[in-house]
Amino acid sequence: MTPWRWASGRASGLRVRLLLAFALLGVTTTAVVASGSYFQARTVILQQAQDAAVASLTDQLTKVYPVRRLPPSQEELDTLAHRLSDREGYAVVLYRDMRAQGAQLPEPLTPELRRAVGDGVIAWQRVSRDGEPVLLIGTQLQIDRPDGTPVPSGLEVYSVRSLASEQQSIDRLATLAWLTGGLSLVLAVLLALLAARGVLRPVRELGRAARQLGEGDLTTRLAVRGADELADVARTFNDTAGTLERQVGELRRMEADARRFVADVSHELRTPLAAMTAVTDVLDEEADRLPGDAGRAARLVSQETQTLTQLVNDLIEVSRFDSGTARLSLDDVDVAAAVTATLRVRGWADRVRAELPSGVFARLDPRRLDVIVANLVGNAFRHGAEPVSVRLCAEPDWITIEVRDQGPGLDPEVLPHVFDRFYKADTARTRSEGSGLGLAIAWENARLHQHAGQTGSLVAGNGPTGGAVFTLRLPRVVTDAADAGGVR
Amino acid sequence: MTGRRAARASLAGGLLFALLATGCGVRPSDVITGRSATSGPAVGVGLYLLSHGQLALVIRETKGITASPEQTLGMLAAGPDDSERSQGLVSEVPVGLVPATPVTATADGPGVTVTMTGAVLPLSAAAADQIICTVATAVTLTGQVDSFAPVTIAGPDGVRAPRSCPIK
Repeated sequence: MTPWRWASGRASGLRVRLLLAFALLGVTTTAVVASGSYFQARTVILQQAQDAAVASLTDQLTKVYPVRRLPPSQEELDTLAHRLSDREGYAVVLYRDMRAQGAQLPEPLTPELRRAVGDGVIAWQRVSRDGEPVLLIGTQLQIDRPDGTPVPSGLEVYSVRSLASEQQSIDRLATLAWLTGGLSLVLAVLLALLAARGVLRPVRELGRAARQLGEGDLTTRLAVRGADELADVARTFNDTAGTLERQVGELRRMEADARRFVADVSHELRTPLAAMTAVTDVLDEEADRLPGDAGRAARLVSQETQTLTQLVNDLIEVSRFDSGTARLSLDDVDVAAAVTATLRVRGWADRVRAELPSGVFARLDPRRLDVIVANLVGNAFRHGAEPVSVRLCAEPDWITIEVRDQGPGLDPEVLPHVFDRFYKADTARTRSEGSGLGLAIAWENARLHQHAGQTGSLVAGNGPTGGAVFTLRLPRVVTDAADAGGVR
Repeated sequence: MTGRRAARASLAGGLLFALLATGCGVRPSDVITGRSATSGPAVGVGLYLLSHGQLALVIRETKGITASPEQTLGMLAAGPDDSERSQGLVSEVPVGLVPATPVTATADGPGVTVTMTGAVLPLSAAAADQIICTVATAVTLTGQVDSFAPVTIAGPDGVRAPRSCPIK
């Protein structure tokens, strides 16, 4: 998985998605509410300030009346402008071409405000002067004619007031809004984490339980909490695990029954077979003296009885492995001598090319070594082609015995099944000389040798020049006595 | 799918943020208009002179004496005084053009008639408006008519058409 894929996988994880959704919800809600109240509060603050300023100006202007002299002199204009200026702002008074300004500042008035005032109404406008918000209020001073209708006197009064304090209040509001937004974001994230934990914990538990089940622990169950969808999943999981456990138990029981049956049958067959063997031994001796068919029949019965005995013995051996009752009886063994003895007893000593360096001692079960070597060599004679060679190699921790023949070798399709029970490589040949269990027993015997975490192995393969190669590796346990030169 | 959704979400967020960021503080506004301009009474005699060709109200102190329409017209015929002239106020009414008789109500119509001593037909429109507005204001003071009553200017050479003061 590339880093990008990994990151996007993380990013679309449940926790991240929940977190994002909550954060977005929180921020959006707060933004809408905070900005709404902010704009409203700003409008109210500005409106109040403007209305108060306008009221204050018109209130001050009533003191100008009654007008006694028109046109006014420059001094009168200056006095009026001065009177209307205070801490919060200053006034500009215009009369046609004359002008009086309460403060030495650049022209603040805008043409559009002048136009509106010229139309005979009180008008105001917020403008920005050097970054500072300023409120301009302007009005004409009109003279009432005797019948009450006003006539413009030509005087215009403008009040210029700073909105800095209002700006401060509004800025404070904005800070508060941002702060509220930030707090709500933090809160939303915390809530999201909490919710994600609530959702993710059952999911994590489910994952762990599924893993345990996959690893073979069929007793795994989940604690079902609540009645939501996740609880449903947990319940389904428990039901599935229960069914699986029941069925696997049933299968195991049936398999154990079958094995016990084979073991029982084998045991039961041993006694009659012993009697039969005794009888066939006698028949064998007499076979030569029996005429024609009777002699052949006697030899056939004798041979088949031997095969049957071998089969029963193999079955008993296999059932011991299956039931786990097979035990090693270890002894310090001169491996070369043991292999030589095996070959000699079977009458193969002359037919096998043996490379057995002497002085290789190991602690192992001599009977099982005998069974393995005999099986491998016998197998080589039966299925391969001579010459058959046996080679012994000794390493500090392992001994290796390699049995090689010069036959056609093993078919790649056969290779994985060569140690299976009753596996017939040649399907056309339904009956072989062997029981069909030899290699399986050899394999089990090899695996029975265990020492310090190392397990013996038996591997089948093909040599580089053709021909099957069976390699037996057994852990080598060197005893002090063996090191001392084999003296016991 | 996810990418497009994320892009849309970030676009919305950006818009919201931009709105919040640009909407902060006190923004400049357009001109907001309120009620009509401040007005109040005046004490004195009201005349109409011209400033840059436009009618301009001038108030002169009368020290408590109420001037009649004829006296007021006499002051108008005298022209602007020194201070008024220094501020660019002029009069187009010829010096000495004063009412021959008191201002009377117009015989066959609304408004008032003022009969002058001199010729009235050659008067400029501005000069006529000066006389009309001054007379209207002065007559209103007596309660005879209102400020927008038509004024007829008559003289030995004829009668001008009745006209109201154009200053609303």
